[in-house]
Amino acid sequence: MRDRRHNLFSGVCAVLTAVVVLLIGSTIGVIVVRGLGALPGHWIQRETQFALWMSVKSACISTCLCVLLAVPTAYTLSRGRFPLRGVLETLLELTVSLPYIVLGLSLLILFSSPAGKWLKEAGFPVVFSTNGVILAQLVVNLPFAIRLVSTAFQGVDRKLEYVAGLLGASPMRQFFWVLLPLCRRSLWSAVILVWARALGEFGATLMLVGVTRMRTETLPASIYLAVSGNDLDSALASAFLLLLLSAVSLGLANGMARRGRKRGRYDGS
Amino acid sequence: MTEAKKTVLELRNLTLRRGEFLLDKVCCSVMEREIVAIIGKTGAGKTLLLETAAGLCRADGGQALYGGIPIQTVPIERRNIGYLYQDYGLFPHMTARENIGFSLRMQRIGAKERRHRVDEMAERFGIREILEQYPATLSGGEQQRVALARALMMRPPLLFLDEPFSALDPVTRKDFYRILHEVREEFGCAILFVTHDFSEAQQLADRIGVLIDGRLRGVVEASCLFTAPWEAEVCRFLGISEDERGDRE
Repeated sequence: MRDRRHNLFSGVCAVLTAVVVLLIGSTIGVIVVRGLGALPGHWIQRETQFALWMSVKSACISTCLCVLLAVPTAYTLSRGRFPLRGVLETLLELTVSLPYIVLGLSLLILFSSPAGKWLKEAGFPVVFSTNGVILAQLVVNLPFAIRLVSTAFQGVDRKLEYVAGLLGASPMRQFFWVLLPLCRRSLWSAVILVWARALGEFGATLMLVGVTRMRTETLPASIYLAVSGNDLDSALASAFLLLLLSAVSLGLANGMARRGRKRGRYDGS
Repeated sequence: MTEAKKTVLELRNLTLRRGEFLLDKVCCSVMEREIVAIIGKTGAGKTLLLETAAGLCRADGGQALYGGIPIQTVPIERRNIGYLYQDYGLFPHMTARENIGFSLRMQRIGAKERRHRVDEMAERFGIREILEQYPATLSGGEQQRVALARALMMRPPLLFLDEPFSALDPVTRKDFYRILHEVREEFGCAILFVTHDFSEAQQLADRIGVLIDGRLRGVVEASCLFTAPWEAEVCRFLGISEDERGDRE
């Protein structure tokens, strides 16, 4: 009786898994089959190349900024002792669950204010400019990056930092000599995931900078423009490029995590 | 005439609350070159006591005075305390050599002198051949020697040991008892260690304290552990029967 129930449960799970694989596989399949076919004709177009360059460039810059801001924030949250820490954590987590279009709207209002206009006059335009693309990616990704880095920091045994301290390492040296090297792999993996997310960001970017051909056109924006203009082939070619970049970055992140697991978490290599 | 020994560490009504657990007004002192053991069951608060005494946890009451100065007022990197965790706490991303030379590196001592001093220390503890290996490839005994060499590199006046022998086989354990006594003589440091092993405490320590449910019930000469006039709860913990207790009373 117990075996029959177990078999039934396993069978249901297997069927549902097959449904999921079919659902995800078919969406990816469409992009691979049709996008690959459309790619040679569209690859040489200036718009596609611009969108690819804009996506990669903005994702790289926003990821660097994201890491620069997320690492110290995650350190403060995971190691600091201060009042209202829980409130701060909730505030940061809140934006993870917000629709990105809402974040974009908020940024638009913020940077359309006199302060935003002053920034524009000072030579740093945000609304409807490349800077806005980077800022939108940064704001969308920051809470996600903080969460990933915090998890990595929390995974390191505090004892090792205590020992380093008692051996003469100041908190800053404990951070650079012990904490950071010990979560090196997790941090690299986080960087890749953040970069991949930045590459696909669209909602907040659309709100803040709009979609202007050859100006603020990222790959997701290019897909949007192409579909709006009823150019499905062009949209599929851009989608294929995005899929390719995501697959490579995901492969790298997974490979890094696997290597870390295989060698033991801290192998000093 | 023998010179009076100085107090290296003094715990004055040290109190710490962690959820339901209370480390309750612990009073104890460790003199220079003295070995003091704190024995207690798992969950008695031994590790918490060591960590609070070393200033790693902020006490809720009382003080830990290290060389007469409240330990919390000294930045962690300037305390110069040796601390050995149960799992040794070696930095897994550094070789044994880098682990042992870590404190020298933090003192910005040059590579050449560092190398020389690490070699010297490794020679002392018989671990020269494993200096270029990572901790994950070392045996428990080797890891402990590396951790001990690392902790002693700056010649700290006080060494904390958190159940340092629990993961070792009996032969290696005996070997370490000898090493610890030698360390005391050579490096001139006092040692405060916690254990749940009575015989280990008696073999190693000059004085022994009994910690039950976060309260230090007393500290006695190691030779008097089973003959001291303990309260009933301590007698039960030490396995002293009612008859034996009655005979003593």
